[in-house]
Amino acid sequence: MHRRRGYRQLVEGDLDIMPLMNLFVVLIPMLLLSAVFVEINAIDMHLPPSGAERSRERESLDLAIRLEPQHYVVEGRHLKARSVERRAPQAETELRALLRSIRDANPDERSVRIESRGSTRYQDLVRVMDVARSTGLDAIALARHPAVGSLREAR
Amino acid sequence: MRLRARRHRRNLRPPEGLRITSMMDILTVLLLFLLKSFVAEGEAVTPAPGVELPRSESEDRPPASLVIAITDDAINLGEETVAVLDGSVDGGLGGDLYIEALGSGLERARERQQRIAERRGHLDEWAGRITIQGDRDMSFSVLQRVMYTCDRSGFDDLALAVLQG
Repeated sequence: MHRRRGYRQLVEGDLDIMPLMNLFVVLIPMLLLSAVFVEINAIDMHLPPSGAERSRERESLDLAIRLEPQHYVVEGRHLKARSVERRAPQAETELRALLRSIRDANPDERSVRIESRGSTRYQDLVRVMDVARSTGLDAIALARHPAVGSLREAR
Repeated sequence: MRLRARRHRRNLRPPEGLRITSMMDILTVLLLFLLKSFVAEGEAVTPAPGVELPRSESEDRPPASLVIAITDDAINLGEETVAVLDGSVDGGLGGDLYIEALGSGLERARERQQRIAERRGHLDEWAGRITIQGDRDMSFSVLQRVMYTCDRSGFDDLALAVLQG
């Protein structure tokens, strides 16, 4: 039973990785909790053939929301053009109220054309679409001004 | 004799195996988080890397469909990059509304989808569905071109991916 000196200095057995695993068990939930859980939704757009829409629009109000750099301009047939200052803190609320009043006066009206510039930010456009949809105008056509082409949505 | 047995048992003890209890704990925790992000239909919609989706009040669920991701410098159809943008307002895509590369990629996808639908016997139910994930700072000019190209290639059921809020 003579052991060489230094026998006990040799590395014992297997590498014990249990503490490492325990570390991960704590670390991973912490990292995951700090991760953002995003809820991704979608705005549905159906694009019917453009020929079909033309005739209907001629009798309708032809409501349009134009996104200018500083204003939202709302105009339509027989409507006085009204503009809402975009930088104002309550701009969206004002726009919503305006659209609601137009809608109250024309309850059958569900279509609106949103005219953006080429440089209009996607987020801004989505916000205006939200406002329009919340007032019941859910047949939205996207167009560009000065006119280059137009796209349509219908529900 | 007991001493000998004890020594004998000590020498015969098999080497310590790998203890995977902790690994199982990790996997369980990961599984729970993954389930949390799955929607009820079992489809997980992942945001494309490099795209910061705009916020919207919309509550409609995104359909499971081909994804066009528009980042600051590229348009990706599914996994492949079909067009390169140069960060200018119209993305350097030129005056034409139709984006060639994207259009041909979509045509190919449409043919593939229709072939599969035909083989399954419900070709008449096929609808061209596309999800567009665009960065919130994207210009309307780029979006217009992408939507026009989708329409021209037979995909007229578009969903714009947004973040809730």
